[in-house]
Amino acid sequence: MKDFGFGIKKSGVIDLDKADMSLMREIAAEEPSFLHCFYCGTCTATCSAGKYTGFNLRRLQLLIKRGQLDEVSERISECMLCGKCQWVCPKGVNTRHVVMLVNKKLHARKIR
Amino acid sequence: MEDVIVVIGGGPAGMEAALSLAGRGHKVYIVEKTNALGGHLARWDRLFPQQDPAQEILNDMLAGIKNADDKIEVICNAQVQSVKKRMRGLEVMLSNQKMILADAVLVCCGFDLFRAERKEEYGYGIYDNVLTSADLEERFKHKKVLCADGRVPEKVAFVHCVGSRDEKVDHTYCSKVCCVTAVKQACEIKELYPQAEVFNLYMDLRMFDRYFEQMYHKAQSHYGVHFVRGRLSEVSETADGRLQIKTEDTLLGRPMKITVDMLVLMVGMQACAQTEELSEKLDLKVSASDHFFETKDLFLKGNYAHTKGIFLAGACTGPKSLPDTLQDARSAAESIHRYLTA
Amino acid sequence: MHERFANAYDPFVIPYMIGYVFVLAYLVVALVTVVKNLPMSDRKKMLRHLFSFKLFVTIKDIFADCLLHVKIWKKNKMLGYMHSSIAFGWFMLILVGHIEIFFFAPHRVNLPWYPIFFRYFMMETETSVGGSVFFFLMDFFLLMVLSGIALAMIKRIRRRLFGMKRTTRLKWNDQLAMYSLWCIFPLRFLAESFTSHISGGGFLTRSFGMLFDWFNQFMNNDALIRPMWWAYSIALMVFFLTLPWSRFTHILSEVLLIYMRNAGIRESSKNNGYAGVEIFSCSRCGLCLDPCQMVSSASLRQMASVEFTRNVRLRQNKQAMEAASYCLMCDRCVQACPVGVNSVQLKLNLKAADVKYTYPNRYDYVEAEANPMDTGSAWADILHRTPEAAAPTKKVVRTPEVVYFAGCMSHLTPKIEQAMVRIFEAAGVDFTFLDKDGGICCGRPLMLAGDRTGSEQLVAKNTEAILATGAKVMVCSCPICYKIFKDTYKLEGVQVLHHTEYILQLMEAGKITVRKSSQKGVYHDPCELGRHSGIYRQPRDILYRVLNLQQTPYEGKDALCCGHSMAGEGMPYKKRRMIARDALRKMTENPVDVLVTACPSCKRSFAEIGTEEIRDIAEIVCDQLVTR
Repeated sequence: MKDFGFGIKKSGVIDLDKADMSLMREIAAEEPSFLHCFYCGTCTATCSAGKYTGFNLRRLQLLIKRGQLDEVSERISECMLCGKCQWVCPKGVNTRHVVMLVNKKLHARKIR
Repeated sequence: MEDVIVVIGGGPAGMEAALSLAGRGHKVYIVEKTNALGGHLARWDRLFPQQDPAQEILNDMLAGIKNADDKIEVICNAQVQSVKKRMRGLEVMLSNQKMILADAVLVCCGFDLFRAERKEEYGYGIYDNVLTSADLEERFKHKKVLCADGRVPEKVAFVHCVGSRDEKVDHTYCSKVCCVTAVKQACEIKELYPQAEVFNLYMDLRMFDRYFEQMYHKAQSHYGVHFVRGRLSEVSETADGRLQIKTEDTLLGRPMKITVDMLVLMVGMQACAQTEELSEKLDLKVSASDHFFETKDLFLKGNYAHTKGIFLAGACTGPKSLPDTLQDARSAAESIHRYLTA
Repeated sequence: MHERFANAYDPFVIPYMIGYVFVLAYLVVALVTVVKNLPMSDRKKMLRHLFSFKLFVTIKDIFADCLLHVKIWKKNKMLGYMHSSIAFGWFMLILVGHIEIFFFAPHRVNLPWYPIFFRYFMMETETSVGGSVFFFLMDFFLLMVLSGIALAMIKRIRRRLFGMKRTTRLKWNDQLAMYSLWCIFPLRFLAESFTSHISGGGFLTRSFGMLFDWFNQFMNNDALIRPMWWAYSIALMVFFLTLPWSRFTHILSEVLLIYMRNAGIRESSKNNGYAGVEIFSCSRCGLCLDPCQMVSSASLRQMASVEFTRNVRLRQNKQAMEAASYCLMCDRCVQACPVGVNSVQLKLNLKAADVKYTYPNRYDYVEAEANPMDTGSAWADILHRTPEAAAPTKKVVRTPEVVYFAGCMSHLTPKIEQAMVRIFEAAGVDFTFLDKDGGICCGRPLMLAGDRTGSEQLVAKNTEAILATGAKVMVCSCPICYKIFKDTYKLEGVQVLHHTEYILQLMEAGKITVRKSSQKGVYHDPCELGRHSGIYRQPRDILYRVLNLQQTPYEGKDALCCGHSMAGEGMPYKKRRMIARDALRKMTENPVDVLVTACPSCKRSFAEIGTEEIRDIAEIVCDQLVTR
């Protein structure tokens, strides 16, 4: 049978119907400002860690909201919690708390 | 007997409302705190969306006021000291001890530009080559936009939303005009210095009004302005006195740095410094969320203050473009006329 | 004196005895639990302390703190009298009561209820000198306690008289305990008064007994005697039974706390043992409420330390965690606590217990070759330096006199960095700006969020880089960094200075000269620099030389918090802003030209309010530099 190669690469489509939105809901419940983000990227621009690595808080927040948690769990540990992002955030998002919550909740999931 | 109206503020809104009211046979006093009429319009070089010279528009209005000098009296270098309710109308006391018995008062105190120094990380007042949009207009008037050391800038970046949509300075609203002004000024830089590279750092491009989208199109296709979707985080000076700016290209998802010769901060609008004072003297309501004056409603009473006989027009009730301000002033004049003839 | 009843017993002692046995049992269980939770070294310390001379100091401290409440006297005389009259008066009643037994009924010493109900069981025969002295003393201390209780009642309504704007709101368990405590002494007074025509009494009880007798024409006084003693006994029982669940446990645990503290035991990183005793030592006096800016400026009363300790005690983990994540850790409550409960440490411990994740090699990316920003920072250079490059023969490597570490926050306040660079240049100091192009975080923010292993990993990375510079002095602009560099880092051979200390050194050594301006200013002590690091004098010494320094009521240890510490990650921005605005308003009540601080976070926090001129001390000095 001819192989069209479709099955080999993982699809890039986000299937929002099957996405895991529970983390988003849990974080939003404990830190409501998580929902205020308008994705301006100032946090990422100022990030102390982002200078050295691909850590991107704006993207991670969006990934959580789209239920794409693999990259989140891969990257979230890189944050140094220095708080620059929180200072520059024009929407008053408690970014440090968001990062803490993501770390805690992802760890709790792994244990489960 | 002719009705008397005191207009507080001699910017575009105050002038246009005065002209409109005078045209309907009312006597108008314009009380202006500086020594000349014109407001922010006098500081601007050209106006979006079609690059009309600001001076010409201002001159037309000034000429109109001069023609109507039997109906319009301009009192410069004066401020309102107190306003008292009388049997009929309002007794307005001015800082120069002049007293006017007015049938209505129109507040057109306008806006202040956001003080860019408040965003310390943007470097205004620290680095010489960081300007505000108003500083740039001043330079456009002289047709010369040079770096502090006299060089022609090779790379210029415009930062949108400085002091707008920013909870950290308690300005949560959009100032409406900065996006289109940034596009206008970016094009003007390219007109002056076609070799220059121009970057516009925006969060959302709000090209909402007539001709705006065309301006954006022209900036991209004709002038080759680069649009970067990202907000400035901080600025630092390089060893050779240039500016290194940090942002994220949010569409690519990667942090980005650009070294530029000049950085222009698109400062937003804020309620003018006299807002609180005037609100006490005239018993006006100020919005707790954006600190501009509140009107009775946003529809049919859009120019009515909550106090009888007092009206509002222009950017003192929220950010407005110049065309919107002029429209609003004429609509206020209509509201006052209706109120006085009812 | 002689005994009225041969069996020395009456059924009304039963309620008291129930309470008595219960409290004793509770005490034993609690003590065993505490000791069990202590590490071996601390247990040894406790044992050793029992046989050391320092025991006398401990006894003195217990006397001063638990009975006389010396610390509260210093805050407010009324409040001090209220606390000490109840505690000391009660203690003296117990003490004198026992002495009385030894005097008049030594064979009854083994009956625990005897001293409590002494006046019922004993009657005076003829007025002896010794007896009247005891009558007087017992009545005197009873009066003292009664006056204290009267004040306690007034305090519930008119707390301003006691220098408090706020006091604790009590839940039913505390209320039950408090009302029973309030009842004990008036009931004892009535019982003794009614018995006084039989057993005798002092100036208080006898006089009242006679007065009551005279008024009461309708009823035989004697009919009231036993009901009153019953009521007294029941009140004691209720108090004892509610004690373990009430704030009054502090009566017992505070003694233990002082003992342990004097034995050299300190808060560990976990909330058991010593910390557990601290939690039970909180008397809910509410003295931490007024200093807490979350309470006074942001309507967050439920987050106050007094509520936090209560929630920990009741194992209401969710509420306790929330309070811990809101607290800015400014230490104002710790300063105010008369018992010395370090609630900030308790909160840190709770936060740390909630961080269960660790990541191996978490921050190794700092050294990774691929640097996306590729700014060629001094940081990366240092960490990548090969041993050959580090050799002093190579020209590229120089050992600077001073390493300047601005800190993450200072990158957002470029005026501070600019001022410091100019000061270094003016003083002709050879320095390296270690994190000019961005560095890595000091680790204090992670620590304050409870992530201790993460913090340790960053500390290790930074230590390596700082030591690699070879500098002898490191100057920081951020008090947050300064605190952890001083306390936690092991930077042997490197002197860590905050820029206030360093600038003063430069001034005193004559390396920079400044002129004084007429500008009127006030100084705001950053929490991390002031209360946490004890740097109060240096900034003031500098400011006296450069401007017209004014005083505020919020100087030194009484300094306010700017609302934006690295703790309090759970506090919404709007609340932080309320705290900042209020603090700024208070400090600039008398108008000044400038508010000076020495922390980039404080500076930004106040600058965001946008009403006053806010500057860092380095900027002020830089402006006033006299260039030679």
